[in-house]
Amino acid sequence: MTDSATYLYAITRPLDSRQLTTLKGIGGAPVRALADGGLQCLVSTVPLAEFGEEPLQHNLGDLQWLERTARAHDAVVRAAAEQVTTAPLRLATVCTDDDAALARLRELRDRAASLLDRLDGRIEWGVKVFAMSPADARSQPAAVGAGSGTDYLRVRREQAAERERASAAAGSQAESVYRELAGAAVAGRRHRPQDPQLSGRSEPMLLNAAFLVDRNRSAEFAALAGRLADDRGSIRVEVTGPWPPYSFAVLDQT
Amino acid sequence: MTELLENASARPSAEPDEMALAGRPTSLVDLLDRLLVTGVVLSGDVTIALADVDLVTIKLRALITTVRGKDSA
Repeated sequence: MTDSATYLYAITRPLDSRQLTTLKGIGGAPVRALADGGLQCLVSTVPLAEFGEEPLQHNLGDLQWLERTARAHDAVVRAAAEQVTTAPLRLATVCTDDDAALARLRELRDRAASLLDRLDGRIEWGVKVFAMSPADARSQPAAVGAGSGTDYLRVRREQAAERERASAAAGSQAESVYRELAGAAVAGRRHRPQDPQLSGRSEPMLLNAAFLVDRNRSAEFAALAGRLADDRGSIRVEVTGPWPPYSFAVLDQT
Repeated sequence: MTELLENASARPSAEPDEMALAGRPTSLVDLLDRLLVTGVVLSGDVTIALADVDLVTIKLRALITTVRGKDSA
């Protein structure tokens, strides 16, 4: 029983080993490449005290640990993606040792190879759409005479209907943003919209999407996203990226 | 955002120290959207319950609320 395990970051096309010499992973450990059949798996050694099944469950609920680990994972994936076609693995993929990691890589070889073909020469952009707070709420002035209960209820009903129309309009604008961008991308994927507590913004998030884009069409895509951000009155469009192709690193079903 | 887009359009010919994927600060939540929900699933020997992402999200949300609450106090 050893006290360490092998953490897996990504499956990549072969990487020049000199490009790895300065790369540090989780806990500052050196990143190594395990090679098999024309593919590589980027790994580093992690302590089981942190990454064993039980401590991992506990640590995933610790925001600081989670952030540190996610940033370290991301740094390795980004460094690799700068050099070669890279399929990131999900956070916290841990094998008992290098041999076990290689065995897993071998099992997936054909599917991983075809995934890398799909990701080759492509990057990811993130696009979030927020509803703008309804500025036209004041288009219904408080013209309600004192004591007029019927008028009051009518105005309240109209305001509620107006809010509903605005929200439906914003929703369909968000949809058209998705469709337009998907038309300029190789693929699109919707993430779950972030809760205001997580997004840090009070406006509801209507769309939390990712798009896989050819690198040589990236400027075009970014320009289109920028135009969409300018054009719409009732929504706000926010672009993040470019990202390594995290959202599209999904293996075919066998 | 303009700056972001300009950087992106410069991407194909970027110098190593200007590479678009490296060194750009990203939101933790945007990162976790990707790292916890997507990415190749390769069943490790240590099989953790990341399938139960909701649990992580709920814990995280509670933590962020706590952190923000402390900050503004």
